[in-house]
Amino acid sequence: MMTGLLTVAAVAIAGCSSTSTTAGSNTGSPITGGAKTSAAAEVNCSSGTLNAEGSTAQTNAITQWINDYTKHCTGATINYNPTGSGAGIKNFTAGQVDFAGSDSALNPAKGEVAAAAQRCGGSPALDLPMVTGPIAVAFKLQGVDKLTLTPDLVAKIFTGKITSWDDPALKAANSGAHLPATKITVFFRSDSSGTTENFEKYLKAAAPADYTATPAKDSSQSGFVGQGKAKSQGVAQAIGSTQGGIGYVEYSFAVQDNLSVAAIDNGSGPVELSKNSASAAAAAATVVGTGNDLSLNLDYATKAPGAYPIILVTYEIACSTYTDPAVATRVKDFLAYAATGGQAALAGLGYAPLPASLQGKVLASINTIH
Amino acid sequence: MNATLGARRRAADRTATVLITGCFLLGLVPLVWLLYTVASKGWHMVVTSEWWLQSQRGVGFRDPGGGALHAIVGTAEQVALCAAISVPVGLLVGVYLVEYGRGTFARVTSFAVDVLTGIPSIVAALFVYAVAITTLGGQRAGWLVSLALVVLMLPVIVRSTEEMLRLVPDELREASYALGVPKWKTVVKVVVPTAFSGLVTGVLLGVARVAGETAPLLILVGYASGMNTDLFAGFQASLPGMINDQFVNLGSGGQAYGLDANGNRVPIHNFAPDRLWGAALTLIVIVLVLNLVARLAGRRART
Repeated sequence: MMTGLLTVAAVAIAGCSSTSTTAGSNTGSPITGGAKTSAAAEVNCSSGTLNAEGSTAQTNAITQWINDYTKHCTGATINYNPTGSGAGIKNFTAGQVDFAGSDSALNPAKGEVAAAAQRCGGSPALDLPMVTGPIAVAFKLQGVDKLTLTPDLVAKIFTGKITSWDDPALKAANSGAHLPATKITVFFRSDSSGTTENFEKYLKAAAPADYTATPAKDSSQSGFVGQGKAKSQGVAQAIGSTQGGIGYVEYSFAVQDNLSVAAIDNGSGPVELSKNSASAAAAAATVVGTGNDLSLNLDYATKAPGAYPIILVTYEIACSTYTDPAVATRVKDFLAYAATGGQAALAGLGYAPLPASLQGKVLASINTIH
Repeated sequence: MNATLGARRRAADRTATVLITGCFLLGLVPLVWLLYTVASKGWHMVVTSEWWLQSQRGVGFRDPGGGALHAIVGTAEQVALCAAISVPVGLLVGVYLVEYGRGTFARVTSFAVDVLTGIPSIVAALFVYAVAITTLGGQRAGWLVSLALVVLMLPVIVRSTEEMLRLVPDELREASYALGVPKWKTVVKVVVPTAFSGLVTGVLLGVARVAGETAPLLILVGYASGMNTDLFAGFQASLPGMINDQFVNLGSGGQAYGLDANGNRVPIHNFAPDRLWGAALTLIVIVLVLNLVARLAGRRART
């Protein structure tokens, strides 16, 4: 049956010119399947299997890319296991997977850069920003679906300095809303997570007086009060089932469970979370990586009007040189698709596409993988 | 006097009957509840032919279609390899302990089996991870799961083999010896055939014990949404792995939402819960069918 499927699909894309280097690769025709992919893009297909692992925040994006890519490239198999950024980097440097998904770039201070270079046979590993994922401060509260929070309030809630929804400071920021005297229950990620690190970086940058912990993937030193939950979906489920619950979760998970999302006021008025407001914040990021490494420095404290400041940029971390050239081609072909045609598929999933300026750099960097 | 004693005994009898029946029914509640829940939520996936013929390759949680073939094949392969290692070793250890084992070595073996029984699956998985991946630098793959499952399956088989062989009356052995049959032939031709259906049941209990095991899968192999028949390379699916994978997109159980192109929330159908229940039901059905087949085989072998 598998053979039958392959034959049909091979006929469907026959006649395309081939530019890939691996045997059995097909090139060409724009991906037309998948309602979310509107922009036509050239896709290079290479056969074979790729295994990847990491960030749960980009799960829905990369799963969509994999589904669209493998529907088009029937010889390709790509597996992505959402086990968290920390686990992804660990298994990437241990040589267990071909590339990692991570919400934070490799950290030289923790030796991640050196370990990754060792895994890549001495060549540096590349941080390739691929998706902007807004982090929603999601909550569940009877009778309240709109809420505005300032960075100070977010920090105070998560560190336990504000414990009730009718706290005067919350009431002051939300004059129109009727806030009940419900106890605030905070949920955070218990597993190693880039979402946690980015959220803490935001608090540190935008509310330095109220948040003093050092941002890290691990939430054990975060100073958050409340309950740790595993994975993005664990946090989203906990919020959805707890009256008075609040937590940070990647936007698509908040959407999926239809959780209310707070607007953030960084100093120039409340900004609702949307793909445009998240993109506006991502455009303020600067590349700090050297060479083809594109690790970013996000401006969390941005006061740009209409920019939603709590974002993470999730990276794919790949070797610049693979010992097996066939693997290099597979990684290159898939990531090139993700950075071009794949970006159009993101809007419906709650992610923001890469800003155009960054997209060009990412593609150029991907093309150097060999 | 006699009449009151009789009445008291009858009352005690009645009370005990009611209590025991009550406890039995109470014990049935979670079992029936669980089976009903899984069957009612999963049956509409399991009755389609595509469920048994297709994988989840290229199927997202919003897309209909796809099946569990990749997971069924993965579980079957992993459990088969595990059984191929555990069954002969477990049976032989059981025979040794009952028929031959005397003295210190037998006591140590018996104690070791007891210790193995108490090992949590996550520890077995970490042990295999430490040996095969951290120390020897191997790649995660399905066969490592089988190795971890061996640690879990072996004591079940040894213990049940022991129990079953002990049930064989000594008179049978003595009759055999009296006819001048050597000990090994007595074991092979008399003891084991007598206990055969019990041994098969023990093996199946072992299979059932490991087929739904999840911890080794999470640590020792990645989940693949497509078909991978190679036990020795790459990510491989399995039914518990598929349940875990679908759990990622489960949502809160209520109406699922997505975004349209303009960023507005729209209700969508989330297929993850259907597939999760379907995979759970499939696992139960497979273990049940195995059980029935083995019982039939055991019954036929005895007569």
